[in-house]
Amino acid sequence: MTEKTVKYEEKEEYEMGILDRVSDRLIESFASFITLFRKDWKRKNQSRIKEWKLMAYSINRSPPTLLGLFIVIVYLFFGIFGPYLVTWPYDFFPVNYNVSSQLAHPGSSYFLNVTTIQNGYIIHYTTNVYYPLGSDTYGRDLLSILLAGARTALVLDIFIILIGPTMGIILGLISGYYGGKIDELIMRITDMFLAFPGLILAIALSAVLPGRIQSFLNAHVWAQTFVLKLFALHPRDVNNLGKLLAVFVALVIVWWPGYARVTRGSTLTEKENPYVEAARAIGLPKRTILFRHILPNIIGPILVMITMDFGGIILTEAGLSFLGLGAVPPIPDWGNLINQGSQYFPQAWWLVAFPGLVIITVVLGWNLLGDGLRDVLDPRTRRSLEFKLKKKTEGGEANA
Amino acid sequence: MAGLGKFLVRRALTFIPTLIGVTLIVFIIAYIIPANPVRAWAGGEKASQAAIEMIKRQYHLDQPWYNQYVFLVKGLFTNTLLDPLNQEPVFTNIGNRFVVTFQLALFAFFFLVLMGLPLGIISALKRNSVTDMFLRILALIFISTPIYVMAYLFIWLFFLHWSTTTLAGIPPAPPHQITHIPVIDSIITLDWNNFVQQVERFWLPGFTLGLGAAGVLMRFTRNSFLEAYSRDSTLFLKAKGVPKSRLYKHVLKNALVPVITILALQFGGLLAGTPITETIFNLPGIGRYALQAIMYLDFPALIGVTFLYAIVFVTANLIADILYAVIDPRVRF
Repeated sequence: MTEKTVKYEEKEEYEMGILDRVSDRLIESFASFITLFRKDWKRKNQSRIKEWKLMAYSINRSPPTLLGLFIVIVYLFFGIFGPYLVTWPYDFFPVNYNVSSQLAHPGSSYFLNVTTIQNGYIIHYTTNVYYPLGSDTYGRDLLSILLAGARTALVLDIFIILIGPTMGIILGLISGYYGGKIDELIMRITDMFLAFPGLILAIALSAVLPGRIQSFLNAHVWAQTFVLKLFALHPRDVNNLGKLLAVFVALVIVWWPGYARVTRGSTLTEKENPYVEAARAIGLPKRTILFRHILPNIIGPILVMITMDFGGIILTEAGLSFLGLGAVPPIPDWGNLINQGSQYFPQAWWLVAFPGLVIITVVLGWNLLGDGLRDVLDPRTRRSLEFKLKKKTEGGEANA
Repeated sequence: MAGLGKFLVRRALTFIPTLIGVTLIVFIIAYIIPANPVRAWAGGEKASQAAIEMIKRQYHLDQPWYNQYVFLVKGLFTNTLLDPLNQEPVFTNIGNRFVVTFQLALFAFFFLVLMGLPLGIISALKRNSVTDMFLRILALIFISTPIYVMAYLFIWLFFLHWSTTTLAGIPPAPPHQITHIPVIDSIITLDWNNFVQQVERFWLPGFTLGLGAAGVLMRFTRNSFLEAYSRDSTLFLKAKGVPKSRLYKHVLKNALVPVITILALQFGGLLAGTPITETIFNLPGIGRYALQAIMYLDFPALIGVTFLYAIVFVTANLIADILYAVIDPRVRF
């Protein structure tokens, strides 16, 4: 069996760069990883693995996509490890110990005479705070807040994407596949939400929901602990969680209708294909037809949409906290920093500039990646690239 | 074109559930809040019980929810629903503010078309070149930049640095009102002074608002142009030996069909997308009115504003559909 595989791969040779080898290795190890759980997965899915490798090659050949991928990986890294890399904790307010550390210029440093209570003893000590990117209205180091804020952004991002679009996709599949009255009902509801400007709905919901969510959190300790761990927050900030989660719920509610409509549209055309009819004819359950047969064939454009929406959610979430909804200080959040900065603009320009730059970079990264994925997931462009690659090797051989 | 009337009636009928639904959503939102808005309307903690009771009766809040809903919707249509914060009919308030928002959207639309269309076409004409790459990245940056960051950057540049705009108050409308949109009136009545005042106040917020949408339009125009270019008709023209300038004219005509319909939708989007811009630039438009309504739990106002937004949305869609049918003879109603 292994011999055969080797031969099969030898037949088509591509001009490979170092990135291609890396991506090949990654995909191979991923396939081996799945094989650990599912017997013979690698052998059965050879063509799929080959297709993945081709996708990776085409990503490797487009610099903007690579840039996007790089930014996204950096964002994910800081989203996961950011709160542990900070020099100062987000809930340490230097302004309490030295008033002039408020809105400190980038590159300045201040001495603090800190007085705290530890284990029942009052402790005095002097410390020096260096502000590489300046400080906010509480004298907190901007760089630390930006790092810790990456976690807030990432957690909201991932969980909103996990719930909102999934809901939309399922509703769209059902609506497109069954048609009739169900379709009519779901689509009318979708239209209603689409006619509502998303920002206004999100603002209204995040202004109204915090009370309810807070009382739920206060009643359920496990939920409290879970959310605190998720956002890497100190337990004493538990009373600010309601506002934060209100934004989450609001964005989930705002984020599904677009997906429902797109999924319904592609389901409508996809379900007319003979393979769906065949699946129906052999009596597969509807669930299997929807999720194992139709969904994989229409997922391409939806994946692109999801990638771009990772950026879109960051934008909207930061916009809401810019308006003073959602994350409130001391919870570290990029949009909230800009909100603080806007009150002291242009004196405290760094509070608008640096978080703004971070948001632009991350959103740009997701958009670049989405653009690249659009090309990669479209079989036509992928195939044309494959053709080019082959021609190159053939030409090379001819010359040699 | 014969079926246009029938088509309009049919489309108008499908609006009704959407409009009802939107008002219902706001109503539900108003219903789930734990705080008692009446106390806030009556003047906060010190409000007397009698005043609260009176307001409750006035807004039918002591009745079951369906009566409340019917009262609100009836009030909207007859314009008797009073904004509890200033005791004026909600739609009178909205009308005063809509003028500002509409003017802002007009300026934004101007910049949107001015930048989005030509840059998109240039990008498509020079596809896969350095210019194209630069323009595409520029479009992506426009899309990725939060509007508030862009707004503060521009305020710093154009207001603090070069002082080419004003950020306070609203210039008065010209004495002769025809369309009630100040900038159009001042053009029609040739009131140069007023026109300059309006432009000075509105160009920067319009520019900021239009820029993000321009990125979307650039990308859309480019794709649409390339799609039109890859059609068989282009191949035929090429084979016939038509010079490039005339070839591009043909392609452009085909490419602009979807672009124009998108423009109608984008104008609707601009009208609805103003809350943050209006807050930053201190313009008393409906976006800020909606924000204030939410902050003060002023639900009659909010229901009015969202009703207006829904109307804007469905109208923009309708105009897009009509434009599509008018421009493209293959589309039938």
